[in-house]
Amino acid sequence: MDAGLVATRLREAFGPRVNPTVRSPKRLYASLDAADLPEVARWLWTNLPGSRLATSTGIDLRDGVGLFHHFAINGSPLLITLKVLLAKPDPHAPTLAGETAAADWIEREIHDLLGVVFDGHPDARRLLKAESMAGEFPLRRDFDAAEFKERIDERPEF
Amino acid sequence: MSDPSSRRVVEIGPFHPLLEEPVGFSLTVEGERVVAIEARMDYIHKGLERLAQERTYDMVPILLERICGICSVTHSVCFCNAVEDLLGVEIPPRAAYIRTIIGELERLHSHLLWVGLAGHFIGYNTVFMWAWKYREPVCDAFEMLTGHRQNSALPLVGGVRRDLPVEYFPAIRKVLDELEGQTERLTSAVLDDPVLAARLKGVGVLTQNAALDFGVVGPTARASGLDTDVRRDEPYAAYGELDWKVITQPDGDVFAKAVVRLLEIFESIKILRQCMERIPAGPLNLGTLHVPTGEGIGRYEAPRGEDVHYVRSNGTNMPERLKVRAPSYVNIPSFKASCLGAPMADVMITLAACDPCYSCTERAMVLVGRDGAPISPVPGLLAASQRKTFELAREMGRRPDLDRANWRR
Repeated sequence: MDAGLVATRLREAFGPRVNPTVRSPKRLYASLDAADLPEVARWLWTNLPGSRLATSTGIDLRDGVGLFHHFAINGSPLLITLKVLLAKPDPHAPTLAGETAAADWIEREIHDLLGVVFDGHPDARRLLKAESMAGEFPLRRDFDAAEFKERIDERPEF
Repeated sequence: MSDPSSRRVVEIGPFHPLLEEPVGFSLTVEGERVVAIEARMDYIHKGLERLAQERTYDMVPILLERICGICSVTHSVCFCNAVEDLLGVEIPPRAAYIRTIIGELERLHSHLLWVGLAGHFIGYNTVFMWAWKYREPVCDAFEMLTGHRQNSALPLVGGVRRDLPVEYFPAIRKVLDELEGQTERLTSAVLDDPVLAARLKGVGVLTQNAALDFGVVGPTARASGLDTDVRRDEPYAAYGELDWKVITQPDGDVFAKAVVRLLEIFESIKILRQCMERIPAGPLNLGTLHVPTGEGIGRYEAPRGEDVHYVRSNGTNMPERLKVRAPSYVNIPSFKASCLGAPMADVMITLAACDPCYSCTERAMVLVGRDGAPISPVPGLLAASQRKTFELAREMGRRPDLDRANWRR
């Protein structure tokens, strides 16, 4: 299925709530409100057979934390990216982990690295980050790697 | 049967000196049956995504070759695909063919590595020895073409860095001819072996629905009947111009995954032969490129499945954000579906079946046996897996390894 066609159908289904941009026949980006995320994701799974959550990206932007869910479709070149912007300093997003097993790890990873809280995640434990880094979010812009290194530096005592 | 008081937790991993990547698994078992499985993945988080944000676009592919010990071409070409998607450029045809050649050589040696490991885990050490012996000339071929057995440093945004030495192509063809005959014999010996069929069919089944729910990719998905292959779905490099086919199997068990990988070896050989025949002359790359503000997503069919890279540029010469999603990241959690209810002796091969970067399985903490005495678990787990094969073979009145008569046929 072509990116333009999916964009039209998304507009029909959700009206102004979803704002799709077609960058090429293979790449569709759509920005929406975080609250609509589960509904739009469900729409993709129902209406595009073979669609799956390929991965998600978290990124610290000037206006907030960007959360991008990338959906791939088996047998098709089309990649659909749902983009939401979460308010800093305490970003919250609804979870997709209850709906697809593919969202489980990636949401835990984004929580580890960027501190995004996924409301309703069934198993929101630490996944990647070292235990000693609880409360530190290394992919945030205000994370100072040099200062952190200095602070946790443990030298053997003579 | 279900008696919670008999529950034990078996820890597998996280470290083993032979393999490249530590992962820990906790199996909760009742007697012999696995009732819960959980993976832990925090041992070697290298922070490569953040490091990539401090490298120029020329340097990032070289950094990304170090993500994985096997998939070095995968990640660097996938990053290039992403930046080329951002730029909206096509690479020169010669560069596309060179990327295809190194990518398929990588797939060959990766699949052979898996065949060998899988053979070892079920006690078929002949398969292990043969597959790794056949793998060696493929790595040598990679070295002939690129100067290194694993890391080529060839991919570059907009093409490749250097040309391939075409004078070695006859030698590569010879390697492929030999490998084809060897793999044919190995494949028929493996597929015709009744003990292997009894040992692997119906073991570690991942149903098609579970495969879609976990979003698994690559041979793991194709063995569950999902017809997906980035090389065909979104042809990058030269795959759109070549004649090859996607291998799928409906069953979702370990046997199906082995069949998919073994048959894909022949497809890779076919692709390589066509590439060496048809490689066109021409420029190798697009020269210096300015990357404007924007975002791009690249995909690549790694030996283990679809690799995804997301690149966001802010107009400087370094990416603002690089997201790397390796195929094992979605394949490993599918153990939760395929291992549950399995006997302990099948766990080893089921975990191995999706070819995770795999160091985890061979070291474990102390496991308390039913008589209360500690037994050494991973050797124990491996032995349990191999013993099950031996017992099956004895019941069937056959050798507990590949039948030599079968092999010579």
